[in-house]
Amino acid sequence: MVDGISFIAVSLGAAFLLGMLRDSWRFAAYGVSLATLAFLTWNAFCWTKGFAVDGLVPIEIFTAGTPPPFAVNLRLGLTESALLLLVHITALLSAIYLRDTLMQQGRRAMSVLLVLCMALSGIILTRDLFNLFVFVELTVIASGGLILLSQDKRALGAGFKYLIVSQVMSILLLIGIFFAYQATGTINIDGMAEQSALLFKGGFLAFFLMFMAVVLELKPFPANGWALDVYESAHPAFSAIISAAVGAASLIALDKLLLIAGPDWLMLTSIIGLITFIAANLFGLAQENDRRLLGYSSVGQIGLVMLVLGQKDILGDNYLFVVGGILLAHAVAKAGLFWISGLVQGRELKDWAALRQRPLLLFAFASFIALLMGLPPFPGFYAKWELVHALAAADRLWLLGLMLFASLLEAGYLFRWFGYVIKRDLPEQPLACPWHKRTVVMLALVAAWALAYIWGELSPHSNLLHLLPLLFALAFLVLEPLPAWLKNLLAIGGMVVWFLLSYPGYDPLQLIYGGIILIGGSIIFLASFYGSAQRRLGFYPSAMLMYAGLSLLIVAEDSFNFFAAWELLTVGSYFLILRGKESEPHALSYILFSLGGAFLILAGFALAGLGAGQIPLARLADLSGQTSGELAGWVFLLLAIGFLTKTAAVGLHIWLPGAHAEAETDVSPMVSGILLKAGLFGLTMLLMTMGKQQLYGVELTHVMLWIGAISALVGNLLAVFQEDAKRLLAYSSIGQMGYAVFGLAMMNHLGWMMALMFVINHYIYKSMLFLSVGGVAKRTGTRLMYQMGGLITLMPLSFIAVLIGIIAVSGVPPLSGFGGRWIFYNAIMSDEYRLPLVIIFLAGPIAFLYLFRLIHTIFLGQLKDEHRKLKEAPFWIVLPQMIFVAFLMIFALVPGLALRHVDVYIGQFFAGGPSLNWEGLTITSQFGQWAPIPIMIIIGVIFMTLFLWLLFVNRRAQKVKQFNIVFAAERPYRPETTHFAWNFFAPYRKALGFLTQPLVTRFWETLTDLLHQLADLLRRFYTGNGQTYAVHLLLFVVAVYLLQKGMM
Amino acid sequence: MDFDWMKIPYSLLTLFIVVNYGMILNAFIQKIGARVGRRHGIPIWQNYADLIKNYSIRSSITHGVMFYLGPVFRLSGGVGLLLFVPTIYGSYMFSNMSFAGDLILALYFVFFGTLGMALGAAESGHPHAAIGITRGLSQVTAAELPFALAVFAVALQYQTLSVTDIVAAQQGSFLNWTLFTNPLAVTAAMLSFLGSMMRPPFDVVLAPQEIPIGPPTEYHSSYLALMQTNRAIFPIAKIVIYMNLFFGGAASWPVFFLKVFCIYMISVLVGVVFPRFRVEQSIRWFLIWAVPVGILAVVLV
Repeated sequence: MVDGISFIAVSLGAAFLLGMLRDSWRFAAYGVSLATLAFLTWNAFCWTKGFAVDGLVPIEIFTAGTPPPFAVNLRLGLTESALLLLVHITALLSAIYLRDTLMQQGRRAMSVLLVLCMALSGIILTRDLFNLFVFVELTVIASGGLILLSQDKRALGAGFKYLIVSQVMSILLLIGIFFAYQATGTINIDGMAEQSALLFKGGFLAFFLMFMAVVLELKPFPANGWALDVYESAHPAFSAIISAAVGAASLIALDKLLLIAGPDWLMLTSIIGLITFIAANLFGLAQENDRRLLGYSSVGQIGLVMLVLGQKDILGDNYLFVVGGILLAHAVAKAGLFWISGLVQGRELKDWAALRQRPLLLFAFASFIALLMGLPPFPGFYAKWELVHALAAADRLWLLGLMLFASLLEAGYLFRWFGYVIKRDLPEQPLACPWHKRTVVMLALVAAWALAYIWGELSPHSNLLHLLPLLFALAFLVLEPLPAWLKNLLAIGGMVVWFLLSYPGYDPLQLIYGGIILIGGSIIFLASFYGSAQRRLGFYPSAMLMYAGLSLLIVAEDSFNFFAAWELLTVGSYFLILRGKESEPHALSYILFSLGGAFLILAGFALAGLGAGQIPLARLADLSGQTSGELAGWVFLLLAIGFLTKTAAVGLHIWLPGAHAEAETDVSPMVSGILLKAGLFGLTMLLMTMGKQQLYGVELTHVMLWIGAISALVGNLLAVFQEDAKRLLAYSSIGQMGYAVFGLAMMNHLGWMMALMFVINHYIYKSMLFLSVGGVAKRTGTRLMYQMGGLITLMPLSFIAVLIGIIAVSGVPPLSGFGGRWIFYNAIMSDEYRLPLVIIFLAGPIAFLYLFRLIHTIFLGQLKDEHRKLKEAPFWIVLPQMIFVAFLMIFALVPGLALRHVDVYIGQFFAGGPSLNWEGLTITSQFGQWAPIPIMIIIGVIFMTLFLWLLFVNRRAQKVKQFNIVFAAERPYRPETTHFAWNFFAPYRKALGFLTQPLVTRFWETLTDLLHQLADLLRRFYTGNGQTYAVHLLLFVVAVYLLQKGMM
Repeated sequence: MDFDWMKIPYSLLTLFIVVNYGMILNAFIQKIGARVGRRHGIPIWQNYADLIKNYSIRSSITHGVMFYLGPVFRLSGGVGLLLFVPTIYGSYMFSNMSFAGDLILALYFVFFGTLGMALGAAESGHPHAAIGITRGLSQVTAAELPFALAVFAVALQYQTLSVTDIVAAQQGSFLNWTLFTNPLAVTAAMLSFLGSMMRPPFDVVLAPQEIPIGPPTEYHSSYLALMQTNRAIFPIAKIVIYMNLFFGGAASWPVFFLKVFCIYMISVLVGVVFPRFRVEQSIRWFLIWAVPVGILAVVLV
């Protein structure tokens, strides 16, 4: 490595050298520029490695050979070297990316770029205020020059506004430095920090001006209209530099100033950052132009970093880890996205659908979005985890809440954008994809994953990229070129092997969930063999990501791993759901509800941490003992709502019907039969550790009972009125999950048994029904039940699956659904709350309505003319159904096989309560008994006897044609008018339809509409007029002044 | 497992008695209804004659497998329901197959026949059948609710789900009957009972005027014979549950005959006086008048 001064000297020298070259030697000029940047990048890399790995101590560089205050000194430590690396690598890659532009513009442009790097290096390295001013000025001039490089005509205006604003900042800075020097007698930053008491005695205004100048450079809301215009109109490669490199340099400048300021100014910084973060993300919601959206996102992310800078006092040792995680994630992602935006021809978000032509670019896009959002395994995830825990420990809950809210807004537009990319029509203009630009994007992608690994290593918790299931899921990205059947086989094999490996370590409860997830999941994968002639790009990585998350979730022992697994399964399932043909809005609603829920869980864990970075889940149990007041209640509430989002409890359920119904045939059973269990597992874990909790005297499990009961009613009732078969099943899931939540919330032994019974049953029959209905829909080309009818003879196996399924769901003996009902009655016998039961009782028989409708309108009644030649559903879709039929039968006969051990296991949590006795073939409770096998035999014997009798007396029966039915004086001839199917329960709608008003949907729609309208209204605030911007700036300065005066 | 094979002939004996009693009772009740309407009514052996006629009809058609199985489901439901509940209290001979399960089994098994029959009728492709089924299902969701609440109240009251134990708790004096110890539950249950007996004002399911006889429209000959047998068994099987839960059960056959008749007559008395409800009207009626009583019963028990 070469001396630190080289960062300034070499680029300056190279810039001069360029000036001496002949104008026509463009290749040489370009070569010099690249070589300079490459050399400096390498140098920065060596320094960073030296500080990080080899343990070098930070060095001071005395420019004039004397220590300060007599000469300017520079400091090079880990932070500085990492930022230098960031600046130079961004510049280098942008320079490669800008090859054509630079060659065309000639050596002047190249030297401006080098000067910019030099100026940024100066800002990063210097410890002298006046020196800082000089480098800021240089940055401004160089940036202004580069903005003008753009082809966009608006760039001229934007550049001009930028220069004006920058001059205001420079003036503020200069005046501030002047007064500060007056007050302290030094312009050395460290010197001034030592004398900060002196400075603030009379020099408040002096510091305020310097502070404002640097803050304005960070584009805070509302004084950032100019910046957005710049982002929108500048060349994307340059926007990448502004966003990543200039942003990072300005942040370190602010950090240096805060060193002088002391703790009083920290909160102010955080508030400015927070407001910017919220406002930028809010405005982003209403944005359709890609570069402007990226601008908003940049502004927002830098606001977030400012927020973190202001929390220096509570972050302690984690400060660099958190700031670095968020800042680097932002820089890499934003640079990557800006570079991609240069490849996309159209400027609207939906034009990015062109990325679908290049799977690698698409993957890069997805990674950058995840990087921005702080999803695992990226650095933002680790950083946000620490940040949230620190905020919770310091009791800065308002900050925490608002930050998470703004993150959710950000997720809103980022995932919407992702949805556009995956689902919208391909634009007419293809991607402009020269190899050098693609390489640059790919390098950013590599950097993103490298950062993910590094942050995982640095994290005090575990490195997610060391988790085998996650690696297995990611491996499918590499395996994408393989044929689908092979990938399917690998997926099934992997899951079975993982189950066999983990099996010995599971407790009985985990065994039930693990069995459903891994073995159950591989059975559903059998259905994926159908249509495996196509490659199904993206399917396997997403599905395996979900399964990885699920299988990690059930074995997680501490809050960090639990939450990471939760996020992984959420993201994986989102990608899966998004694959459906019409699922774009539904997948968005799913991910937003899920992330909202996840943030609540995060906040809950952070509160429960009591200052610790993570807690073993078992420690949740001690929470009520350790803390006074309502803390335990709040933790319970946050976690419970988070988990209830996943089980689609009423109020939070609106994502489910669309997401499950619009998903692909083999995805619906995965996300319904398996994914919903994650929420139940979370609730089980929560109730098992925390037990009953109160909040302001309200028993929270009691509230949960009501939620479960109402979910059961609403889900069932809405299912009755669906015309779409998959939607019907989806609503029915809401009802079924309601039962399970109800069972858990009863907080007694049998209630939990019932919930587990529902977990198993729901997995089997809902997976089976989704597959049957999916198979039928594949053949008929519709999911609307009234368009079908009479398919029983054409699709007998699907019919049998549905028949067995509905008998099981309805709880009619002798199938396993009855077991759930029997345990339910035994459980409620010892329950203390009776009113919610009324609702559950009401919900019960309603299930018959939709179940009958499902089987009747599809398989019975009149066959339609266009369906007369249909075949049975494809083999691979029928096969798992038949396995499920066998499962249901076995589970109906010997429920003890699965439940005995869990019964004993649960027993330890409810000592002394009523339990079950599994002796022999009869299961007894203290109230009654249930003998599955005798029931099956008795019913079987009666049925067979009567059947044989009928066969005997009716042996001459003739099969008649479809329309041979008894009608008064007319003969029907059209199936459409004879098949009674549409609006099947019209009288029921008359009686109880008022209960199905979409109040919840309306609530959430109004809320999102309001946010969008607010965003649309407020963004008009940026008029594009330089004078308005000047007023914003002035107002901002005054407002901050008053705020700080008020706070001090 | 040690199964007492003698239970099979004993159960068949119960079945035999109940079928015959049901045949005669149905005709008798129909006669009462006719007399109220100033008509003469059918002879008391009419049901036997119908049964023989149906078995001997020569033309017989089928619409498919489910259609064929519908009556089998229906009758299995009736027979099973009867056999899963002890008929005569204290008698081993007439305790039937009640070892297999408790009250909950009986409650849910009620739907076995209904559902199977609905599936069979639906395969006939006749719209009247489907319309009748939607009406029946819609009505049953509201009608069953007070009964479920009453059953829960009774189970809570006696702290058991075993039918035999519930009957045992009511022995001694007629004042020990649930009718007197828990009148609210019995009121709710009896209101619900009206809804399940296919008599006015809740007989829109069969609706002989607009959708001639509803779900069974397409059934004839031996199918109808099976269903007719079920019509003799099923109401009695259901009444046996009511009798056991609320009216002290029956310790001997004469008491059984009397109690079943009296309970049946409740629905007849209401039925001959009131006109028919539409489906949504009956749903509202149950929710407004019967369910609150049931809720009170559950809360106050």
